[in-house]
Amino acid sequence: MVDNFLQGVAAMANFWSISAALLGLVSGIVIGALPGLTATMTVAVLTPFTFFMAPLIGLPFLLGVYKGAIYAGSIPAILINTPGTAAAAATTLDGHVLAREGQARKALLVSLYSSVIGDMLATIVLIAVTAPLAAIAIMFTSPEFTILFLFALTMIAGVSGNSLTKGLIAAALGAWFGSIGLDPMSGMQRLTFGYAELTGGIALVPVLIGMFALSEILIQSEKSVVRSIAAAGVDDASGVSKKEMKSLMPTILRSTGLGIILGALPGLGAEIACWLSYAAARRHSKNPEKFGKGSLEGVAAAESGNNATVPATLIPMLVFGIPGDTVTAVLLGAFMAQGLLAGPLLFQQHGDTIYGLFCVLLLTNVMLLVFGYWAIQYLRRIVFIPRSILLPCVTVFCFAGSYAVSSDFFDVFVMVGGGAAGYLMRKADMPIPPFVIGLLLAPRLENAMRQSLLFGDGSLSIFVTRPISAGLLAIFVASLGFLVWRSFRARQIKDATVTEQPHDAAR
Amino acid sequence: MLGKMTRRKSRSRRALSALVAAFAAISIVCAADQAVAEYPDKPVRLVIPYPPGGGASLHAGVIATVAEPYLGQPLIMTIRVGGGGIKAAEYVSKQKADGYIVLMGDITINSLRPLVEKVPFKISDFTPIGRITLDPLVFVGAKNAPFNNAKEMVAYAKSNPGKLVYSSDNVNGWTYVAFKALMKMTGTKMRGIEFGGGGPAVANVLGGHTMAYAGAPAVVGPHIKSGALKPLCTGSTKRAPTLPKVPTCKEEGFDVQWEVWLGLFVHKDTPAPIVAHLRKAFTGILQDKGMKRLIKKINSQINHVEGGAWVKVLEEERKRLKKIYE
Repeated sequence: MVDNFLQGVAAMANFWSISAALLGLVSGIVIGALPGLTATMTVAVLTPFTFFMAPLIGLPFLLGVYKGAIYAGSIPAILINTPGTAAAAATTLDGHVLAREGQARKALLVSLYSSVIGDMLATIVLIAVTAPLAAIAIMFTSPEFTILFLFALTMIAGVSGNSLTKGLIAAALGAWFGSIGLDPMSGMQRLTFGYAELTGGIALVPVLIGMFALSEILIQSEKSVVRSIAAAGVDDASGVSKKEMKSLMPTILRSTGLGIILGALPGLGAEIACWLSYAAARRHSKNPEKFGKGSLEGVAAAESGNNATVPATLIPMLVFGIPGDTVTAVLLGAFMAQGLLAGPLLFQQHGDTIYGLFCVLLLTNVMLLVFGYWAIQYLRRIVFIPRSILLPCVTVFCFAGSYAVSSDFFDVFVMVGGGAAGYLMRKADMPIPPFVIGLLLAPRLENAMRQSLLFGDGSLSIFVTRPISAGLLAIFVASLGFLVWRSFRARQIKDATVTEQPHDAAR
Repeated sequence: MLGKMTRRKSRSRRALSALVAAFAAISIVCAADQAVAEYPDKPVRLVIPYPPGGGASLHAGVIATVAEPYLGQPLIMTIRVGGGGIKAAEYVSKQKADGYIVLMGDITINSLRPLVEKVPFKISDFTPIGRITLDPLVFVGAKNAPFNNAKEMVAYAKSNPGKLVYSSDNVNGWTYVAFKALMKMTGTKMRGIEFGGGGPAVANVLGGHTMAYAGAPAVVGPHIKSGALKPLCTGSTKRAPTLPKVPTCKEEGFDVQWEVWLGLFVHKDTPAPIVAHLRKAFTGILQDKGMKRLIKKINSQINHVEGGAWVKVLEEERKRLKKIYE
């Protein structure tokens, strides 16, 4: 392996490969930062051009695009409360609060550092243990995924804002909208009312743009439009101290671990990893009450989680030809076009090329750090642009972006509807993230559950007879039990202090 | 005097307006003629019905890169996903029939689903321009499956009704139909699990969670060569050139013929000269040497049939499909 790696370094170390990677990275950052232009779209549009290039020029370019786009989604999430890609939706929660308080630079730097660290560690895992990790990932199928999705849905409690009841209502609404479209098993139309546009279901990205961005614009436009998002006087250009970074490390490491596991499992991607990492960070945090109110931990968790999935999704793709998410599905085609057929033989036949590409991943990380650091000093000023200029620009991006997703005008209506719903939800103090998670996860949970029941010939015992599924279920039940016990104890303590108070007063 | 003048004036006016009308009529006819003669005078859009990364978008990407010299204008890919391809087909059927929008169709959206489902368009809404590929589906077994060839598989299914679990894609999808035809032909009962797409379906047969699957040679070929999947039989009349050792299903004793294609279509009302122009252009594109080299790179091969000849082949195929669903 070391031999292969050194050959890879040698194959990679030329001007054209490195330039291609850098060009890809910069284009990825620019496109990923524009809401609606997703990483998948970008890679798909650029793939045919790489057919004519040598493997170590075309593929570094695409990998650079992929990495840049996933990172850059966090830039508009922080600055204008609009996730540039679905993977950055969780970053808006704390990142934008920080930006409003004049700490845009700090939030952007934490996001950059967390992304780079998460990505770097995941790449090292990719290089070291691709084959064994892939062998474990392929043992997961519908019953295991059912439990994982259930697990993921319980985190709604973690992103529910002030009221769990309102959070659950939002999640149920999300699940309801998620069930629109073709029934996944029978192909029957559900809740489409005969509209062909609805047979494909409600697309996630237009909903995200509407709920986060358009509703934000509506809220903002209630205020004085002359002022900027952050008041000019509160600009804090100090950045992140070493001490702050050090205190964030446990969060980053945990999220990276989660991101690697979720990325390696086929079918889960960065857009789920960001929410799971965020909820896990909140659960383990010493200051969970700061989440959603400008917590650096929240930004770090979401961003290291989603970027760690990037190298990890390559694991099942390279070893089995199974794409971990939609971007890798496109990349798989680009690899095939270069004669690199994914599978166990790939590492034997094209070891030097593959390890060369691994080097590209490490190298683009360093480039991302340098380029990002340089760009942030200019980007952070966006929050000081007067609203009367910024808001119309963002509105244009909302419409253009939601149309760009699949060049379908119906998606623009979905975006506007999402914006109106998001506005009403904000007015009613109902949290938006549970809605998004419901929309994202409920259809997948339904699918996995029904597939499991087919596996088990209609019997629920399938969930306990398979060892991995049984293990996951045990962990799930135990952690649920722990949560219930903890909240019960918290209430007991509260009751105790409440009963003590009159006693104190009497004294 | 005054009256005479008015009459004369009105007469000349009538003459003038008649002249204008005639001129207008002539120019409209000319313009219409010109529109056909000058086609195409702007880029042509190719509508892709499936998400990027799949066979449709890969082939479209290759075609778009070599199209311009043959078409006279660039060919631009537009991805329009939804409803398992229904959205794109409906979109093309409702656009202007001016030849500037071409559908990257396939056997499910242009033949199968309009036959057996209620969809918002008809088979007859489209005029075929040309077939691009034709691939048989190859039946494969999992490494740990209790059978090693097609005969053993059918025997296993006969003695264990409902016990053979296979990976399926979508209702009325490629794999779904392959197994439906196999079950009908052999009188067996097997259990399919719809995974919503080819990717997860392959993952599950590779992981040994299901026993069998049927997929295109480009998808299952590498796994057959690496020994991860057992080849059973191909649903074609001749053995697949890329898998010469795998017998056809007919050789194994059951006549399952299920070959899937990608092809190009335009709106049914597109003027004949434009249809002819497109058919000629795509014949050139699909025989281009660079094109053939690129198609090989994505592990596929061209199996072109020009639109006019293809119409009859399609009719035969649709008759066969109807029988599977009877």
